[in-house]
Amino acid sequence: MKWKGILSMAVLVFAIVASGCIGGTQETKTEVSKVTLTGDFTKDIIEIGKILQENGINEVKFAAWGSGDPNSVMRVYGIVDAAYKINKIWEQNGIKVNITVTTKYDQSFKDQYQEFLSKQPLGQAGDFFVNSYAFLPTLAEEGYILDITEYAKAYQDVINDFYPNLLEAAKYKGKLYGLPQDTEARPLYVRKDVAKCAGLDVDTLPEKVKNGEFTWSDVYYWAKKAKDNDCSEWGLIHRKGSAHPDLIQFIFAFNGKLYNPDTGKLVLDVPAVYKWLYVEWKFAQDGLLPKDIMSWDWAKQIHPTIVEGRTLFDIGGTWYWTEWQTKQYYHGRGLKPEEVKEWFAYTLFPAGEKGDKPVTLSQPFIWMINSKAGQLNPKYEELKDVYHALAFLMVIKASDPEINAIHSVISAHLPVRKEAAKLIKDESWLNKLKNLDLDLAPEVKDNIKDIVEKTVNPINAQFLADVSYMLEYTHLAPAHPKYPALADIFKEAVDKVLRGDMTPEEAINFIEDKIKADKELADNVEIKGEIPKDWKFPQG
Amino acid sequence: MKNEKLRDLSFFLFPMVFMVVLFYLIPLVLTIYISFTGMRNWNVDKYLHQVVGFYNYERLIHMFRYDPTFKAVILTTIVFVLITLIINVFGGLGLALGTFFMSEKPASAFRLLWLLPRMSPIAVYSLVWYYFFHGSPIGTLNSILMKLGIINQPIPWGQIVPWGAWSVIIFVNGLVGVSFGMIVFTSALNQIPRELVVAARVDGASAWEISKKILLPLMKWHFLYVLTWQFLSLLTTYPHLFLLVEWDLVDRDYGTTLALYVFNTAFGRGEQDQGLAAAAAVILSILGIIGGFITLKVLQFEKMIKKPRGDL
Repeated sequence: MKWKGILSMAVLVFAIVASGCIGGTQETKTEVSKVTLTGDFTKDIIEIGKILQENGINEVKFAAWGSGDPNSVMRVYGIVDAAYKINKIWEQNGIKVNITVTTKYDQSFKDQYQEFLSKQPLGQAGDFFVNSYAFLPTLAEEGYILDITEYAKAYQDVINDFYPNLLEAAKYKGKLYGLPQDTEARPLYVRKDVAKCAGLDVDTLPEKVKNGEFTWSDVYYWAKKAKDNDCSEWGLIHRKGSAHPDLIQFIFAFNGKLYNPDTGKLVLDVPAVYKWLYVEWKFAQDGLLPKDIMSWDWAKQIHPTIVEGRTLFDIGGTWYWTEWQTKQYYHGRGLKPEEVKEWFAYTLFPAGEKGDKPVTLSQPFIWMINSKAGQLNPKYEELKDVYHALAFLMVIKASDPEINAIHSVISAHLPVRKEAAKLIKDESWLNKLKNLDLDLAPEVKDNIKDIVEKTVNPINAQFLADVSYMLEYTHLAPAHPKYPALADIFKEAVDKVLRGDMTPEEAINFIEDKIKADKELADNVEIKGEIPKDWKFPQG
Repeated sequence: MKNEKLRDLSFFLFPMVFMVVLFYLIPLVLTIYISFTGMRNWNVDKYLHQVVGFYNYERLIHMFRYDPTFKAVILTTIVFVLITLIINVFGGLGLALGTFFMSEKPASAFRLLWLLPRMSPIAVYSLVWYYFFHGSPIGTLNSILMKLGIINQPIPWGQIVPWGAWSVIIFVNGLVGVSFGMIVFTSALNQIPRELVVAARVDGASAWEISKKILLPLMKWHFLYVLTWQFLSLLTTYPHLFLLVEWDLVDRDYGTTLALYVFNTAFGRGEQDQGLAAAAAVILSILGIIGGFITLKVLQFEKMIKKPRGDL
């Protein structure tokens, strides 16, 4: 009796499996296709739409992950808008396929990178990922992002419109792994009323900084004067937390290096790092820079101190300009564009000392495509190439000059395309943006209308135009897998010298010891030069 | 007869054995294996078969020997585990005994209050203490003390090394841990026959005498359990510490225990190094096993599991 039961069960299981196999054969009989992009966006989109439709796909789902300051939401809504425009093309051509995009926008780009890294192998990461170029080499090396070199060949016209140095930041080992989304400069902001009180002429300042006539010794001199004359509580305010990227500028300002292209190794440029730490130490010990600035709160301390005029200088980023307008840092309200213009002057990051050059530092963000993009959609294995080509075209669409220009104006980041830079200067287009009289996805309009209302202003557009020259002086931190570990050690050293726990000399020894304690870091970092003897700050 | 007993035992023990194998043994074996591979960036396909021998252990030992901040980490681990352990165990015991002598309603409310830190999400709970101990005038504690005229300048509590940083991390973790001991000890107290307490009361014993002579001796094994559990837990805990250090509330070196140190070394940088993390986890496990074994030995755990006299 027992064996009969077992036999019946076995037959039943076999029947189920067999029927599944038979059914499966019929199911998988699909139009397997590859896409060859032509460079004609509409034509390519229609072809992809048709392939999807023929394969019975009605809906394509994608997820866009982005991060950053509160005004930079176009990093995800650019993709949403691209989907809207592609859906429109399909609708006009009778193709019954629809793209839906879910978004995830986080404050910390580093946290989101870590999340992408851990979720990508599990197939749970976003299909589109916009983040710092600094992480691109690791993602490319691990095979986590799509190599778009071949796709890009068909869209060379679009590619050529990007600024070449930014395009380089999207490459790894000669291959293109994404398209630039934005960039920025990191000016030195000067509070005009405090400067006037101290007797500093801000009108001629940008030119003096540009010519290397106004160095960090001058910054110290005026900061001290402002404090001594009770013009302000502090002389200088800068970022908290990490030393990357704002404070790293000191290394370049003191003519130092962070990377050796000949060996592919990072560099600890001892003289430049020593001078950087000495400047920080001197400012803090003389009460011009808060000793505990590295643990200050961004929203409750750093920004209010700057916008309330309690400091003469601030090392910031271009995006501060509009962030101050949308966030309530000034006595519980945001600043008006007129106020920002009236209160703040801006210059390049001054040269370390006479003979050095002024600098700024950019950290381009890149649209990257997950190498498993589209994986949650039906028939992914058969249609992988189609989904990937579609994802690439969505990034192309999201890089439209108009989208890039909107992002630049509302978030005070610099445009990455020449066409976008032209749009920003077009007053009639700015008016259209102000009224949201542009062909954008309704979801995008809803989500950016408050930011647009506060930030779209000729003053902000002029600011972007005024700071764009800074890109000629820009440096990029090295895109090296071990760089974050080195930047982490710099942060620790800066914190210790600011608090007075270490002298600059001790901090240099500390950095060297920390590097040597990590075998892999030691293998990847060249230590060059020595602590300069009899070096004085301030000079002259 | 013997086979039958074995069958019954297997039947009842199977779920537990299955769970132990699935959730403890396999992960342990996997962790040990991964510690011998070059696994990084979660790329299982690429690195899982890349065996590197003792390379990760060598790196770890090298780091431990030459990292200038490691001495602070070792000291912090010892102080943090010992003091928090004392607070957790004796604090829990005190709360359980205190509420034992109270009437039921206020006792329940009081216990619930102490459970709040454990019920709050870690980020929210840590954020509360971040603002409370913040070393500037925006910090609640500084603001209160300045308003009362006790201090003129804000005190950077978590940045005063070593005791300021240690006090903050011990306080924050102690508040979370104390509820665990409280629950176990309360449950133990409720199992003690009430007649014993009533009889002692009738004989004129005070609450202290009742606690010392009746309640505490009957709770020895619970005490042992809480002590061992909390020791192992504190040795490996890092989430609250991670946030307090990450937000720069406490000094990075004197706010970092061994568990957080290895976590940050392995996961906290741009490159996530699972091979190194696994090696660190194995070393931590060995330390935990040795520590746990010593605790059990000193408190004579074997007496508790001694076979009862007579037949079952």
